[in-house]
Amino acid sequence: MKVFRDLAWFFKQERKSYLLGILLLLLVAALQLVPPKVIGIVADEIGNQTLTWSKLGIWTAVIIGSGFFMYIFRYYWRICIFGSSVKLSRLLRTKLYDHFTKMSSSFYQRKRIGDLMAHATNDIQAIQQTAGSGVLTLVDSLATGGSVILAMAFTISWKLTIIALLPMPIIAILTNWYGTKLHHRFRLAQEAFSSLNDKTQESISGIKVIKTFGQEKEDIEEFRKQSDDVVQKNIAVAKIDALYDPTISAVVGLSFFLSIGFGAYFVVNGSMTIGQLISFNTYLGLLIWPMLAFGWLFNIVERGRASYGRVSTLLNEKVDIEDTSTGVDQVPSGEIDYKIQIFTYPNENTAVLQNINFALAQGKTLGIVGKTGAGKTTLLKLLIREFEGYKGEIRIGGIPIHEYKLDAFRRAFGYVPQDHFLFSTSIKENIAFAKADASLSEIETAAEIANIHEDILNFTEGYQTIVGERGVSLSGGQKQRISIARAVLLNPEILILDDSLSAVDAKTEEMILSALRNNREGKTTIITSHRLSAIQHADIILVLDEGKIVQKGMHEELMNEEGWYKDMYLHQQLESLVEHGG
Amino acid sequence: MDKESKVMSSKEQRLVLFRLLNYAKPYIRPMFFAFFLLALATVGEVVGPILVKIFIDDHVTPRNFEMTPIIILAVTYLFIQIANTFIMYFQSVKFQTIALKIIQQMRIDVFSKVQALGMKYFDKTPNGGIVSRVTNDTEAIKDMFVSVLAVFIQSAFMFVGIFIAMFTLNVKLAAFCLLFLPILYFIIRLYRKISSKFYQDMRERLSGLNAKLNESLQGMGIIQVFRQEERMRREFGEINEGHYQAGMRNIKVDGLLLRPAVDLVYILAVIIVLGFFGITSMQTAVELGVLFAFVNYLNRFFEPVNNVMQQLSFFQQAIVSASRVFILLDETEIAPSQENHKDAKIIDGKIEFKNLSFSYDGKQDVLKNISFTAYPGETVALVGHTGSGKSSIINLLMRFYEYNRGDILMDGKSIKQYTMDELRKKMGLVLQDPFLFYGTIKDNIRLHNDEITDETIIEAAKFVQAHPFIEKLPDGYEQQVTERGSTFSSGQRQLIAFARTMAMNPKILILDEATANIDTETEELIQTALAKMRKGRTTIAIAHRLSTIQDANLILVLHKGEIVERGTHQELLAKKGLYYKMYLLQNGLRETIEDVVIHQ
Repeated sequence: MKVFRDLAWFFKQERKSYLLGILLLLLVAALQLVPPKVIGIVADEIGNQTLTWSKLGIWTAVIIGSGFFMYIFRYYWRICIFGSSVKLSRLLRTKLYDHFTKMSSSFYQRKRIGDLMAHATNDIQAIQQTAGSGVLTLVDSLATGGSVILAMAFTISWKLTIIALLPMPIIAILTNWYGTKLHHRFRLAQEAFSSLNDKTQESISGIKVIKTFGQEKEDIEEFRKQSDDVVQKNIAVAKIDALYDPTISAVVGLSFFLSIGFGAYFVVNGSMTIGQLISFNTYLGLLIWPMLAFGWLFNIVERGRASYGRVSTLLNEKVDIEDTSTGVDQVPSGEIDYKIQIFTYPNENTAVLQNINFALAQGKTLGIVGKTGAGKTTLLKLLIREFEGYKGEIRIGGIPIHEYKLDAFRRAFGYVPQDHFLFSTSIKENIAFAKADASLSEIETAAEIANIHEDILNFTEGYQTIVGERGVSLSGGQKQRISIARAVLLNPEILILDDSLSAVDAKTEEMILSALRNNREGKTTIITSHRLSAIQHADIILVLDEGKIVQKGMHEELMNEEGWYKDMYLHQQLESLVEHGG
Repeated sequence: MDKESKVMSSKEQRLVLFRLLNYAKPYIRPMFFAFFLLALATVGEVVGPILVKIFIDDHVTPRNFEMTPIIILAVTYLFIQIANTFIMYFQSVKFQTIALKIIQQMRIDVFSKVQALGMKYFDKTPNGGIVSRVTNDTEAIKDMFVSVLAVFIQSAFMFVGIFIAMFTLNVKLAAFCLLFLPILYFIIRLYRKISSKFYQDMRERLSGLNAKLNESLQGMGIIQVFRQEERMRREFGEINEGHYQAGMRNIKVDGLLLRPAVDLVYILAVIIVLGFFGITSMQTAVELGVLFAFVNYLNRFFEPVNNVMQQLSFFQQAIVSASRVFILLDETEIAPSQENHKDAKIIDGKIEFKNLSFSYDGKQDVLKNISFTAYPGETVALVGHTGSGKSSIINLLMRFYEYNRGDILMDGKSIKQYTMDELRKKMGLVLQDPFLFYGTIKDNIRLHNDEITDETIIEAAKFVQAHPFIEKLPDGYEQQVTERGSTFSSGQRQLIAFARTMAMNPKILILDEATANIDTETEELIQTALAKMRKGRTTIAIAHRLSTIQDANLILVLHKGEIVERGTHQELLAKKGLYYKMYLLQNGLRETIEDVVIHQ
């Protein structure tokens, strides 16, 4: 029940709803006692043949009244309690989302998206259940159970109450015992199911191998065996699961038997009326639910506690890249100056960058090349402050970048990442992602620079075409070019293309680059690439290898040096010949 | 999600339901047995209150305490209770067992169907979706068979049983109680109509919410670098709010029409019963036992109603899942079929491609008029840039895809004329990505072929030089392969895949060489193994490293689906064409490259 304490802040925040809800629940529990009581009284009047029209009318009105109020109260406590629980899940989701937007790349490197999703879906679901059904079950079972027992003991016969309740602990003991067994078997069944799932996954991933070796029949046979296992494990669950209802009905039956038997004895010796006996039995029926509910409650609360623990841990993760309060609140501009001694990713040992020193004057173009893993992307990620914690300094316009306010700082950049990511909205919205109020002509201009305008017009819905699973599937090159348009639209102080022309052909690449040259007069551009043709016209070219700058200069200078650049350039020329069939 | 469910009319839903129930046909006998037990249990439940009624009316009210009939009553009551406990238990286990078996059959059917589908289907369908059909959707249907069906039927029996009992006790009053059926029916219908819409709406909003969250997490880098956190928070907030509203609507509908409403009807029923007895009592004496029994029955009568209503959303979900499963079962994109001449055997292993053209999408040809012959025991190598059509040639040869223009002959007969078994037995394909299954190394070499003995496995492993490294593993050949074999190097995985093919001892070898770089240590092992494997076998090899196929009898250079050069290594080098340039790219000295590039 610790989770109720953990959630105390929320209960306090929503105390009006919860207090009202609980009050209504208690009222319902009390009202519930009315009809059985009335039945008993009327039955006695009938038995004594003393019932009159007016009495019948009054009692009918009482029952109708109680029924009517119960209906209203039941409706409203649902709104109060379940409504609050839905509110809690909305609140937690918003909190998580806000938190996610503040976390830096190093957080996303550590966490898997699947896990984060699970927290935001399953865990929040479980917490919602605790704050809703959990609270309800706790209050209701205590209230109903307590009031019914009190009513039985004080308004009818405390002796008969004790006798009738004698078998009830058997339910608690047995269901508890079933519970432990069931839990164990249920886990086995879950495991069997998940291994069947794995098996299916594997067969479908390996379908080519299976077909190659003609193993279809054998594989189906194996699937049959595994699904057999699932059936057996589930039957084992069913064998325990099926015990609940009969056990309860047997014990309740015994309870009824005792209450009728002893009740009859009390009726005969005059300490009770038949009407009271009927009331008593109706009350007994009301007790079944609280008994069951209690077992259920433990389950809900247990899950809620674990889930709340996970979500809190996540929310307590520190935001690692934060603004200094005295930060420079201006958009950076001017010369970019790198002086980095060493950088290592968090939780890793090998240095990714070492001794990176260079300066890029405002308005110039920088080209960065080198093998995969040479540190090209890392160099950029430090510039846009996706990672911090390096030794040394990067300055823009003479001010170290970590002194800028993050929001102002990022205004300077248009970034086209290596793994082009588009959102599943329209192409228009994707291009205007960072400037939602851009006019259509602005968007079209950006698309023209990125050489994607024609492609877009060819889609049936044009700029309104939806991208992604629910829409058209774009080629890698098209996605890259839309990503470029998205960054170009901002007309940023510094444009970064991180290997973002890899999927377009040489001709398109040339067209995009020359359009960019015209468009970005006086603005800084940084390009990393595998293909040297993309950076051939840069003002400075850096060749990186294992995190160090091994060559630096303009294309012509580098072609006159013996080294990686020249080798690679020639190699790529030959490659393009081969690609075009000689 | 749930695109299908939205357009599903109630007629379609009924069709899906009938098709689903058809799966129960083989279990009709055990099912009827379970129903019979259920009927017995219901009788037991219904008789209990009648016994109490007899006790009250015949013994307590007239103060008639003759022992024998009371003992008989008590013993009968207890006996029925105990018997009922057992019957209910067995009935429930029986029913669940049947339901589980039905689902198993359905799973096997879906899985078998998946195995029979052609590669084309797998190209256009994400794997996750197919897995979901086989396991998760059938699991949702299981809920329907296990809980929904059981509850529906149980409730129906209970209904009938209680009404029979009521009619035997008092026809007039029972007839009055019948009036509640239309009211309940109306409430259930209304609830179903409204809630299925609202419930669907909430589910859609939830999946929208999750999609947004998932996408945001994936694109967080972009969101942050373009400073759109605020806007995304706002957008997420709106979706979250919409989901909240939908949740509230559901709570309201449930509150208005679900349990509270049924309980209200129960109260009305109680009033009718009381009123009836009350009014009667003003004229004549009334048996109080009958009153007791009626009140008791009313209690029991409304419980099943509540149960049924709670199952409705499961029911809805099961129908949606079932319709998805049936769409897969009705898929027509099946694997190419054979003419199955049983006596057609591959003996020499001569392969001939004759004017073969092929297109995946029916628009663009990926292979254009391909013709060549691989004579028994010879090696034909396919080289070319990505997308030149090399893999397509293998895909057709392996019968992964159907072709219609041109033909592939094996020992002079079209490959369509052999049985699939014969083709698979004689052709060994070594895939680019050596896929390892869960299981031991031994399992991975043998697969499910029981004809392969342990000796053959070791022999095959020795043959491809995988034996030394396997032997060194802690459990040797019994070593478990975990996580798709990621604990082995790519070279080692490759060798295991070789052994798998060699254990079959195929007549024809088809090699799809890995593009990924293999550690130099195993690289040499692999090359020697390949050379040994090719000996005496007709081989068709896709090669990325030209050095590995220099001794091929014929090298075909493909470009955009056409054979642009053909000949032996030396002949092709002498041509100084495409092959020569490719060769230079891999082995050439800088000076020669510079020469070629500059003099182009």
